[in-house]
Amino acid sequence: MIDLLTGVLSTALLAGGVLVLGALGEVLAERVGVFNLGLEGLFALGGVTAIIAVAHGANPLAGLLAAIVVGGAFGMVFAGAVVVLRANQTLCGLALTIAGSGLASAAGRGYSGQPARAVFAGVAIPGLSELPVLGRAVFSQNPLVYVIWIVLPLALHWLLYRTRHGMNLRAVGENPAAADAAGVKVGLLRFGYVVAGAAFAGAAGGYLTLAFVPSWSDGITGGRGWIAVALVIFAGFRPLNATLGAFMFGVITALGFVGQARNWPVPPAVLSMLPYLGTIACMIVPALLAGRTGQRLMAPAALGVPYFRDER
Amino acid sequence: MIRLQRVSTVGPWIVVAARVLSVAAALLVGGAAFAVAGYDVPMLAGSVVRGSFDSLFGLEDLGLLFSPLILTGLAAAVALRIGLWNIGGEGQFYAGAIAATLTGLNLHGPTPVMLPLLALAGFAGGAAWVLVPALARAFLAIDEIITTLLLNFVAVLLVNYLCTGPLRDPAQAVTSASARIPYELPPLLDDLHWGLGGSVALVSVMAVLFARTRWGYEVRLSGANRHAARYAGIPVRRRLIQVLLLSGGLAGVAGMLEVVGTVHRLQGGISNNYGYLGIMVAVLAGGVPFAVLPAALLMAVILNAGTVLQAYGVSNYEVLALTGLVLLFTAMGERIAYYRLSRPMRA
Repeated sequence: MIDLLTGVLSTALLAGGVLVLGALGEVLAERVGVFNLGLEGLFALGGVTAIIAVAHGANPLAGLLAAIVVGGAFGMVFAGAVVVLRANQTLCGLALTIAGSGLASAAGRGYSGQPARAVFAGVAIPGLSELPVLGRAVFSQNPLVYVIWIVLPLALHWLLYRTRHGMNLRAVGENPAAADAAGVKVGLLRFGYVVAGAAFAGAAGGYLTLAFVPSWSDGITGGRGWIAVALVIFAGFRPLNATLGAFMFGVITALGFVGQARNWPVPPAVLSMLPYLGTIACMIVPALLAGRTGQRLMAPAALGVPYFRDER
Repeated sequence: MIRLQRVSTVGPWIVVAARVLSVAAALLVGGAAFAVAGYDVPMLAGSVVRGSFDSLFGLEDLGLLFSPLILTGLAAAVALRIGLWNIGGEGQFYAGAIAATLTGLNLHGPTPVMLPLLALAGFAGGAAWVLVPALARAFLAIDEIITTLLLNFVAVLLVNYLCTGPLRDPAQAVTSASARIPYELPPLLDDLHWGLGGSVALVSVMAVLFARTRWGYEVRLSGANRHAARYAGIPVRRRLIQVLLLSGGLAGVAGMLEVVGTVHRLQGGISNNYGYLGIMVAVLAGGVPFAVLPAALLMAVILNAGTVLQAYGVSNYEVLALTGLVLLFTAMGERIAYYRLSRPMRA
């Protein structure tokens, strides 16, 4: 039982990290009013970039950095299309997912199936790692885990809700015309935070292939990008909720892994379905409950709506 | 001084021209990328055209890709008519294939009776697969994009489970697949079956349904302005559910045709990305049923290019990336079409 708990918690933190990074990036983009459905493609691009970088001698941190840069670069293409040209966000997001997945698989052909040359390995924190359960599950993880689960969510929460800049960026997502009238540079903020969000997604891919799996193969993202998008809606577009949600999904994923490793009497295919079915349930159940009480965390009012100054 | 000005409406021909130019631009940019990567692009393009159109064999291959793309494209296009994105064509395709396989393996009867029954099973399977997203969308306003998409992954896992487990044909040693379905679609040419004829017929039925019936009008009005439609007394919620079920059903029929007509067995990977490419077909077609035909043909050529070009070291993935580029350029072209160069009058 203790073993089971340790295994689930440890895997949940490791696996959920991908979702935290992706979801936090999506929170940034959606808070300025842009729906980025390209996360899945960005995950793949970040993942393959990190693998290629470490295969050519880079250390894992440089590999992660490369993934962030590539995520940001593709984010600029996406932002150019949806913020500058104001093209349809759903279409461009799908295009980014399809093109990104294809490009990543093409680029990663020579690296498929091999273990990553360099990884973010777990570090046992002296003293704390001796604790029962938590010692192995929490205090023996790779160092990125602490940044992902604690530093980044708190930093984004502070940015969004405790600074004037954060208020401006939320205003851009709620009412761009009012923000514009108040002197906030709507286009610039949208562009910047879409690119930042994409860089987060690139980092999620790099974390996936350098810390969680750690190797590259086709389809390795396995819908995690989409789960991250769903998570943001489930979390009411708030960074701390998104982090809690990612933990929950990490636990669901971990149950699948642990169940397979321990030969639970459930077909492995059913266990593998859990994260997807769980995500759908997490979208439907709160809405069902909220339908009765009328309590629902609303999306930014201008989410998905391009802003034209001349239509003010 | 000449400056850019945005206009609020443009004529249909400008929209069509923008589509065509966008696709051409995407292919040019993609070609340039291939050239930078060191490929002989004119030679590759030549072999794609020859491989697709120069022989009966190539045309048959193209036809076999064309037919499922018509139906998955039609499926996505139907949903677009009411303003919904059914991204779950891939899963509904598999659900239709599963339903048709189960029916075909367990029910026995004369072929002329069984074929319509199998098609019905495929339709029901696809529609069932989209039922939960449809209800969630209609009653709880839950984004159908994500729910339909996530079910794709579940369907892939379900097919793999069935083919390696309960439905596995022990006689098949190499690949995990179900037993052979004992019914065949009549051939149109050697390998090309009547699924193509059926797909084109369904396009016509949908075109009439949406352009000429009261139901179609109500759906289009609900898609154009949900509030106005509700005010006019149209049961918008019911129409949303009906349209999504129809959409899923069409994708399910595509799965049935593939499994009964082309592959003859249920196995993993048979969807060949048809579900995802169908979204692109629908977008290129602007959600108009008849326009699905040229759009699906274009996608079939691009998909076929993936097969032809494997001989030259180009993989399916490069081709997938190219289709993504086509989609991106189409989305951008759609917006650029609304800009004009104009000379503002001097005061």
